[in-house]
Amino acid sequence: MANHKDEIKHPFNLTHQASEATRMLRSITDDFPDNPEAMNYFYDLYKKVYCEGVSLHENKKIVGTMCVQVPEELIYASGAVPVRLCNGFYTDDHNGADFMPAKSCSLVKATLGMLDSKSTLPFINRLDDIVLPATCDQKRKAGSMIADMGYSVYDMEVPPVKESEEARIYWRRSIRKFAGELKQITGKKLSKSSLKEAMAKISRAQKAYRKLYELRKQKNSVILGKDVFMVTNAYFFDEIESWTEAVNRLNVELEKRVEEKYSAAQRRAPRLLFTGSPAIFPNLKIPMLIEESGGVIVGDETCSSNRMLYDMVSSDEWHLNAMVDGIADNYLKPCTCPIFTKNDDRKRKLLHMAKEFAAEGVVYQSFSGCQVYSMEQASITKALNDEDIPVLFIESDYSPDDMGQLSTRIEAFIESLKAKRRRNRK
Amino acid sequence: MKYFAGIDIGSTAIKIALIDEEKKILASRVTPTGSHFRKNAITALETTLSEINISMDDLSYMISTGYGRKLMKESDESVSEITANAIGAIEAGRQHGDIKTIINIGGQDTKAIQIDDMGTVTNFAMNDKCAAGTGKFLDVTAMNLEIELEELGDYHFNIKGAPLPINSTCVVFAESEIIGLLADGHNKEEIVAGIHYSIAKRTVRLAKRVGLEGNVYFDGGPAMNKGLVAAMEDELGKELVIPEHPQITTALGAAVLALEAYYDEMEEE
Repeated sequence: MANHKDEIKHPFNLTHQASEATRMLRSITDDFPDNPEAMNYFYDLYKKVYCEGVSLHENKKIVGTMCVQVPEELIYASGAVPVRLCNGFYTDDHNGADFMPAKSCSLVKATLGMLDSKSTLPFINRLDDIVLPATCDQKRKAGSMIADMGYSVYDMEVPPVKESEEARIYWRRSIRKFAGELKQITGKKLSKSSLKEAMAKISRAQKAYRKLYELRKQKNSVILGKDVFMVTNAYFFDEIESWTEAVNRLNVELEKRVEEKYSAAQRRAPRLLFTGSPAIFPNLKIPMLIEESGGVIVGDETCSSNRMLYDMVSSDEWHLNAMVDGIADNYLKPCTCPIFTKNDDRKRKLLHMAKEFAAEGVVYQSFSGCQVYSMEQASITKALNDEDIPVLFIESDYSPDDMGQLSTRIEAFIESLKAKRRRNRK
Repeated sequence: MKYFAGIDIGSTAIKIALIDEEKKILASRVTPTGSHFRKNAITALETTLSEINISMDDLSYMISTGYGRKLMKESDESVSEITANAIGAIEAGRQHGDIKTIINIGGQDTKAIQIDDMGTVTNFAMNDKCAAGTGKFLDVTAMNLEIELEELGDYHFNIKGAPLPINSTCVVFAESEIIGLLADGHNKEEIVAGIHYSIAKRTVRLAKRVGLEGNVYFDGGPAMNKGLVAAMEDELGKELVIPEHPQITTALGAAVLALEAYYDEMEEE
């Protein structure tokens, strides 16, 4: 069996992945005028990591995570660094197709492809462990394939229901067990002080994110959605403190834009929310098409962005076990992933956000092969339509071959929102 | 007199409509897209303009639509074919009144559009990546059966037995299914009717996703195929509104939008 710590063989910048990243990065930066100065930190970060192969987190243990439900506080407190492995590369989607049935989720295929090819993330060969929450079927079954590639995989149990007391107990036990596993990996036992410090670190990052979230409520859109996805997506792999500083710098610049009444989109650009399967670099094709077609994404409900950073741990008990339980609760209760049996929270959240952000429409992406998002589509659409909010449902994957068709649909949706506005005025 | 043009650059054909300020169609044209579609589009436009003895400079406003809409730099602006189709259907179907649903079958896609009484698109659905049940499907059928596209309607009505069930939804697999049916000794009429029903079923399913209210307007090249129209009406359980020139509805819509955009601008100035 191949060892995953084998050396990478090709010059990094010549891989298909690096050229895919370069192409996307170029269109993210060059196709739009007046990107915020502070975005350069993020553009450069992607360039360093994905195009040039510059490694991060030197001399640190790295724990790869496969879903948003992994409590990162525990990983930091154990002296390791979490890196989210959910991947958006079409090249890797191709590679991963060897492992999965034809009609399966691009994200899972691309993650498997990346772990197999080892040429997307420069520090992929330094993973000390991969934590795989048993969320959707496809991820759940990917675990043993990843283990066969030579990685150490920890299966983290997740209850299929989130409201019941039984689920809560089950989940808390699962998280305590995970804390024990981390000790095995890092050799460091959790302590109250290290956990407190880790919680503070993440909470600073979340505060910076929330500030950015608030800024997007401005009537004048001060930042485009494609840039916010770049910011939140960088949280997957960046050093958390430099990420937080960079977001704070961006917020300062955006506040200036608010004062100057500067708008990043056309003044009357329809305001949209983005929900469903996550937009992960470089698969930002739908957000890009939306904003190239004259819409602006003002908020999102996805696990690569808002769902990952919005909800904060609240713990008023400072005993170690109570702190771990408090953290566990935050990763179950507010989670609006469609893998859970009932998911009315997701409807409530979208309706609430649509009001808060004065959104005029919702774009709902579901990766082909992601059954749960596709199945939830009808009820979410109905809930939003009942409140007079139109929804565009798009089933797509990482392949660029449907761009022509998608641009027609997205443009037509945006045109219909503009027409609706005109009609309501009359 | 003022002239307005709508140009619809589709995957298979370029459609042009020229109108005056009364929205009256002065000239129209349908020509194959080809590979040099920008060049072909300009040539087709110039020919159409010369029919009524005017040139590009005489156009007050032009809007392009269809897959090639963005590459037509000669246009004043572009609009998606869904919006243009809706406006065109309201205009062309005016005498039938109360059009709430539009079904369009094009060269490579099928659309169902729901509109309100002002022609505003309230909902729409489109086939996904695959070309099953589109104009391409009819092309392939005619080619395999070695008959002309225009003859499909006649074959449909000359059927003696029942339409054959065609199970493949993929154009490529349907081709081998047709060859298999021919090899089994089935006649062309039964196969043609079978294909029409197969397309009709798929299309009606798509249209049900947006809702089938009011009068249903059917356009696009395949709407000229009377056999397909009959199969669609059968599946729908109601009569369809078929415009006089089914291929140019979207181009007409673009021309009407061009007229509106022109007068909106005048008002602002």
